[in-house]
Amino acid sequence: MSRKFAIRLILFLALLLVVNYALDRSFKAFSVHNTLNNMMDGQFAEYDDTLKYLALGNSHNCINTHILEKSFNYGSPSENFIQSYYKLKHILEKSGKKPGCVILQADISSFGPKISNRYEYNSYWISYIDYLELARIKDSRDILTKWMEGRFFSYVGNYKDIQLSILYRIKIRTLEMYHGYRPHRDYRNFAEETDKQKLARDKANLILSKESYLDPAIKVYFEKILQLCQSHGVRVIMVRMPMSKEFNEEEAKLVPADKLYTEVETIASRYPDFEGIFDYHLMFVDHPDYFFDPDHLNIKGSDLFTTQLAKDLKELESRGFPE
Amino acid sequence: MLFNSVDYLIFFPVVVALYFAIPSKWRWAFLLIASYYFYMCWKAEYVILILFTTLVDYFAALKMGQATSRKKKKPWLVLSILVNLGMLAGFKYFNFFTESINLLFREINILHPLPLFHIILPVGISFYIFQSLSYTIDVYRGIKQPEKHAGKFALYVCFFPQLVSGPIERPNHLLPQIHQPRSFDQQCLVSGLKLMLWGFFKKLVIADRLGMFVSYVYENPAENKGLPVILATVLFAFQLYCDFSGYTDIARGSARILGYDLMINFNRPLIAKSLRDFWNRWHMSLTTWFRDYVLYSLPYIKEKKIVFGKIYRNLIITFLLMGLWHGAAWTFVIFGLFHGVLLVLETITENQRNRFYELTRINDLPVLKNTLGMLTTFSILVFSLFFFRANSLSDSLLLLSNAVDFSNFRETIGYILKDNEVLFGMLMVVCLLVAEYLHERYDLIRYVSSRPLIIRWSVYIGFIFFVLVFGVLQKQKFIYFQF
Repeated sequence: MSRKFAIRLILFLALLLVVNYALDRSFKAFSVHNTLNNMMDGQFAEYDDTLKYLALGNSHNCINTHILEKSFNYGSPSENFIQSYYKLKHILEKSGKKPGCVILQADISSFGPKISNRYEYNSYWISYIDYLELARIKDSRDILTKWMEGRFFSYVGNYKDIQLSILYRIKIRTLEMYHGYRPHRDYRNFAEETDKQKLARDKANLILSKESYLDPAIKVYFEKILQLCQSHGVRVIMVRMPMSKEFNEEEAKLVPADKLYTEVETIASRYPDFEGIFDYHLMFVDHPDYFFDPDHLNIKGSDLFTTQLAKDLKELESRGFPE
Repeated sequence: MLFNSVDYLIFFPVVVALYFAIPSKWRWAFLLIASYYFYMCWKAEYVILILFTTLVDYFAALKMGQATSRKKKKPWLVLSILVNLGMLAGFKYFNFFTESINLLFREINILHPLPLFHIILPVGISFYIFQSLSYTIDVYRGIKQPEKHAGKFALYVCFFPQLVSGPIERPNHLLPQIHQPRSFDQQCLVSGLKLMLWGFFKKLVIADRLGMFVSYVYENPAENKGLPVILATVLFAFQLYCDFSGYTDIARGSARILGYDLMINFNRPLIAKSLRDFWNRWHMSLTTWFRDYVLYSLPYIKEKKIVFGKIYRNLIITFLLMGLWHGAAWTFVIFGLFHGVLLVLETITENQRNRFYELTRINDLPVLKNTLGMLTTFSILVFSLFFFRANSLSDSLLLLSNAVDFSNFRETIGYILKDNEVLFGMLMVVCLLVAEYLHERYDLIRYVSSRPLIIRWSVYIGFIFFVLVFGVLQKQKFIYFQF
């Protein structure tokens, strides 16, 4: 190799590193998901009231914190039990805040392999997840590439996030967020869709798997959450969110729900601080107008659901819960 | 190990660095170890199959070299063919033939089905077996002298860039290169990297993006009708091309950096003007293999005269086998048979078609003639892909009947226009076709290379980050891995 070529090669590689660094930093600062998640982190850090309820989960979690008093909705897009565990660990061990009760999302999709293998927004999760431990538990070296992605290459393959970030850049400035909850699903209504069944089927196939309903890693982390709560004296409630009639039908075709929840209850019942599963999945089957899409409530649906949840929790409180 | 994985991005630079760091005489050995390691990353125990093929063909060829006549060579060739095709039959076709026999048994009320073997198809088996077979056949024919060096022959069989999906190399092309001392060539490094980058663009930005829509339609054949089915099959033609030619580009680029020149496998096949033209441009290393070792081996002379009927029959047999090479399923048999029959029809009707072009004066309008040829060929290809892509024969028939059902045309077009991935994928296909056209006419790479450094580097860096941002990085397997 000639000296001139070697110098050029080094220069070219250095230039690649510089551009990569610039793109990585820009993405981390610019990404709409990072902005939202960081906003939520900020609100949680500033939260100084009694924290009775801490809700975790993904976009299905639509608990309105205006309605459920003394609560914080810490759910984030695509979040699974693995990510929830690390976030909760961080909260309980490092934030100095202790919720009375953790509300976990108990939808069928929360337990399946598809959500277990979704590792999005690693540039946000890198500050929470112990990727080495996760790689060991999942017995997968691919997890380490997720760490690399989060650390150095956050923009790679994230064209959708970039597109969204450009579209929502202006909107995000006026975004309303209260204790983690943001009422934003108002621009579409599932009732107006012409082929609801197809939409529901597509969505169910996207997030559910016919082959397996309880992912081994999810099972491990579900138990870890229960153990963590047990060791910190935090009660646990699981909530199955309302779904549209069509989505429930499609879910039933793919996953044996009875078997799944029997297994979940068997695991959870070993932990005295587990309070039970609150099941709302059939709550709005006659109201497609309360849905944004097959599996997400809109603002009105969220409010009605949270009102019911708050009522049920009040009843539980009257029996001395949470302590 | 997949090319589109972080593992390969680490493995390959390490191999290149060590390869050029060690003394020249040991480089073949290092490459051999690296190739076995590359294969063993997938399923370590299956490397035994490669070793077995290598050993059998190495000794069979040596024995043929010692034989004084063709007659004495023949048993060794038969041994090599039996062992290689036997392995292929056992691992790839056993269950297909057994299932077909069981189906026949059921039809005639024999209720004792033959047992099936639940074995995983070894990745690349069709490729390395054909490559090894070409060596023993060439030795038998006297085209190639037997290779004395067992290690170098082993490297010929398992050279990692082309081990799992070709190009299927020939002994006269690859073996001499293995013998030649290789030294680092900066031009090879640069052009190899460019080729790899182009391959990654085709695979990650186009093939894997189109694959999402194609899979959605083909995995739900009953639910899709009309436009989505046709569009998915059209896009599958581009997906398949970008996936496989992308793989080949990465393979050829990797080999070039190591100082090896692998065969060209594709020559813009989707703009072919006839079926014959298509098969001269598509997966060239396979078609030439079948031409040289199957088609030319089948008898076509009777009483010292060429019998055209036999040539046509041979062509159909060859294409039938080529279809079956792709996979153990009736869909592939039909795919091969369809192409074979149409190729024969194309040949038989050539004079009539030429006369038609003369009478209608289409010959005076070469652009129109070429466009017609391209559209016809592409349509035939797309039709045959209904069989190639479908999971079963019943699925392909269902999709074919669904393809002409336009009852929900308005809704489906709405869905498609809302699907950004499909629209972006189609835009990228257009970019690819334009780029390939410009490259053929003006040699794009040379053009970019001749620009000032700042422009050149901007183009390279821009393209690298374009692939990184817009690539679908979900480690999708290459389609041809299953073959």
